[in-house]
Amino acid sequence: MKIIKNYLPLAMVMVMGLLMLGSYYVPHKLSVDYVEQMNKWENIVFAFAFLLGLLSLFVSHYGKIRRRQDGWGYSIFVFVGFLIMVVPSLISGGKQMVDGQVTGLGWSFRYVYNALSATMFAVLAFYIVSTAYRSFRIKSAQAFVLFVAAFILILGKVPLGQMAWESVLGWTGYGIDRVIEWIMSVPAVAGKRGIMIGIAIGAIVTSLKIIFGIERQYMGKD
Amino acid sequence: MKENLLKFLKIDRRWIFLALAMILFVPIIKPIGLPNKTISKDVQNAFNYLDKVPAGSFVLFSLDYDPSTRPELHPQAVAALRYAFKKNLRVGIVTYIAGSTGLIQQLIEKVPAEAGKVNGTDYVVYPYMANAVAAMTQMASDFYGIYDKDIDGRDARSLPVMKGVRNYKDIPLIVNITGTSILDFWVAYVGDKYNVPVVGGVTAISQPGYGPYLQTGQLKGLIGGMKGAAEFESLVKEPGKGTSGIDALNLAHLMVLLLILTSNIILLVVRYL
Amino acid sequence: MAKTKTLAVLIAFFLAAGAASAAPKAGKTAPVPAIAGFTAADMPYDAGNALLLRWPDGQYAADTVYRVFLSTAEAGGWVQADEFKAADRSAKAIPLPFWAWEPLPGELAVKLEIGALVGELKSGSDVKVKVAAFEKDKLIAESLAVTAQIRGNWFRLDRLNNLILLTVVVIAFFWAVSHAKRKGLFIRRIAGLDAIDEAIGRSTEMGKPIYYVPGIGQMSTISTIASTFILGEVAKKVASYDSQIKVPHYDPVVMTVAKEVVKQSYLEAGRPDSYREDLNFFVSHDQFSYAASVDGMISREKPAAIFFMGYFMAESLLLAEVGSTTGAIQIAGTDVEHQLPFFFTACDYTLIGEELYAAGAYLSKEPMLVSALKVQDLGKLVVMVSVAIGGLLVAVGAKLQWDNLVQVIMTLFKAY
Repeated sequence: MKIIKNYLPLAMVMVMGLLMLGSYYVPHKLSVDYVEQMNKWENIVFAFAFLLGLLSLFVSHYGKIRRRQDGWGYSIFVFVGFLIMVVPSLISGGKQMVDGQVTGLGWSFRYVYNALSATMFAVLAFYIVSTAYRSFRIKSAQAFVLFVAAFILILGKVPLGQMAWESVLGWTGYGIDRVIEWIMSVPAVAGKRGIMIGIAIGAIVTSLKIIFGIERQYMGKD
Repeated sequence: MKENLLKFLKIDRRWIFLALAMILFVPIIKPIGLPNKTISKDVQNAFNYLDKVPAGSFVLFSLDYDPSTRPELHPQAVAALRYAFKKNLRVGIVTYIAGSTGLIQQLIEKVPAEAGKVNGTDYVVYPYMANAVAAMTQMASDFYGIYDKDIDGRDARSLPVMKGVRNYKDIPLIVNITGTSILDFWVAYVGDKYNVPVVGGVTAISQPGYGPYLQTGQLKGLIGGMKGAAEFESLVKEPGKGTSGIDALNLAHLMVLLLILTSNIILLVVRYL
Repeated sequence: MAKTKTLAVLIAFFLAAGAASAAPKAGKTAPVPAIAGFTAADMPYDAGNALLLRWPDGQYAADTVYRVFLSTAEAGGWVQADEFKAADRSAKAIPLPFWAWEPLPGELAVKLEIGALVGELKSGSDVKVKVAAFEKDKLIAESLAVTAQIRGNWFRLDRLNNLILLTVVVIAFFWAVSHAKRKGLFIRRIAGLDAIDEAIGRSTEMGKPIYYVPGIGQMSTISTIASTFILGEVAKKVASYDSQIKVPHYDPVVMTVAKEVVKQSYLEAGRPDSYREDLNFFVSHDQFSYAASVDGMISREKPAAIFFMGYFMAESLLLAEVGSTTGAIQIAGTDVEHQLPFFFTACDYTLIGEELYAAGAYLSKEPMLVSALKVQDLGKLVVMVSVAIGGLLVAVGAKLQWDNLVQVIMTLFKAY
């Protein structure tokens, strides 16, 4: 039993991990087919896990409604939302347009899902503005650099700002778009590259830790 | 006086939301038409690459954005598609995001009809594919290995729009408009590996992340956010939602500028005066 | 009489045959000269769907256009496979590094992808190829048909530099892990991770739950993996402080793994009775639905501490800003650089990129994990030294025009 619970998963992870790693160096068709097969298996596992997740979602919200817990009204919307999208799509067979006519699914997609998604994304604009008010305060040297960079970048995006820059600093010969391009392509990219390199190396070591079974929290305990 | 200033510094964010909402309403009700002078280099490059494609060639559009990023990316797609039709290019549309299918539907209801283009002869839409990387790799040897039927079930090989198209060698340009990281895949697995020019359209937030790719020339051009859409629209001379949204964008930027200046001035006054 | 008739027919037949063979064959032109030195072989280091054709350059004028034809047993007949000018296909243009390919001077080399033209061919199939030279669309020379066998290769020699680097990293990794010291190695202070104790203590005092948001990555995303390790450590502390943790999930596979991790943490902390299955729950697999739902939960329950660890995209600011309105202490960590500014401005502590990966070692202080951290630092050192020395060498080489050196260095660090 110990072998199945402890050693089999570790062995599977190591073998699969090493095979995937090896497939980068082996161009043979077998290797290409193996990678494709693994991708397919990943999709299948995801589909089953999704079913599991959906069931857990329904069970937990149903429990909330039954026990009249705080905010149980919102739990009803989970089921309502689910039915609004799934029932029309079953009726129309997953098609949004049939013979030039918008189906139930097409209608719910355009006027419910589209609208709600766009709204959530738009709410970001309000949050960005209120965050900007709070966080671009010069409390330290780094904050000052942040403030200057942010100020120049936003100034350059606004036509009035461009004209203001031209009138005040036009004599230097550095247009604001040149300064913005410099900020975006030199210090910003340098910082980004540094972070990317660190992340890449961290990813390699983390992967090695998992492949060779050093981090095995995902397995749980006996 | 200091107390009042401090109170203003700690103002309830809902007042800021209200002020922003009022400022955004104004250009929607009455367009102001703020001038848009500069065209960024990357948008110009994106336009140039699309412009250079000879008439009658096949261009692949990969439209991978869902309704949440629609306001920024849909105008880009509309402008690019309009220009492709204007230049009499044949267009193939693919997608790897399930949420895009509805938006592509809306796109092809409007744009081809305006240009008098026919489905199957001038453009074709392919069904959604779940595994982007697998599809991209397959298209390198045989396009029809993964897309043998278009979204209406017709045999792709028989369509006039696909004549002479077998794999990436026959596709002079790929345009990828996305709010996800799919552009990274197009650049790494297709543009760099098979030397196919890739031009991208992304949200303004993701735009700085593509600096390295643009510098090395792996990504040939980039349209960033709504401003990029407006610039692209002005280059293709077809003002659309991007241009009309720019007014609101400009005013919002102005408000952010004023807010950060105000908060810092108040901070200075409170600390040192 | 019959005999004479037969004789006459026979004579007429032979005369006709003679006349026919003597007359010049109508429509046949003089034979074209052959292109000398044309060879075809399987393209090395590939999956078995390309051929490598080579022949000497300079035999014809500079504006000659070459056309390559191929034929297989199934397709039959000659199919035009490629057309190009001589200048476009010098041997140097083949994208292979110097240790895998030696371009001979004055040679043309063509990598011919045949998968697109004749479909998928079995390894070991024979393919016939020939090349013809055209000047202003007039055939001036044609090679003999050469047979080549396509084969799938087993090793990509062009990726040798990558393999060597990987081997060095793996060896360093094993060395570091096997020499894991019992006493703690020095790790610099990471403020965000030190604040975890403070955050959990705060939530225990206030009697409010802790929210742990693992982001919208899949289980195969490295930051999600790192996030589950941190979840294990945080859950252990929460269990021992007898506090409450809630983990809303975007991906059901991640939820399954997190359930195991949290269960194990509760067991290790000696509180199996406090563990409940619904600590980890699935919310939605849609980015903004997930953000909206988690925002709603945070606004209603007003947790004392919120952790944002993992892969985040646009919803990062939505989550962080709503969290800050409730006054919770927020600790965030992500490797998506363009979301870092939003976390910086809205959260109390932020872990940047690889600090997230180091968190597992930092919190658990397990010797093997901490040693693996050394490998990360070694990797960074290698990169820094390579960039510095390589950059210097290339600059000096470019100045002194040592083209070979510059080429070698550029090739050594290129990904094939």
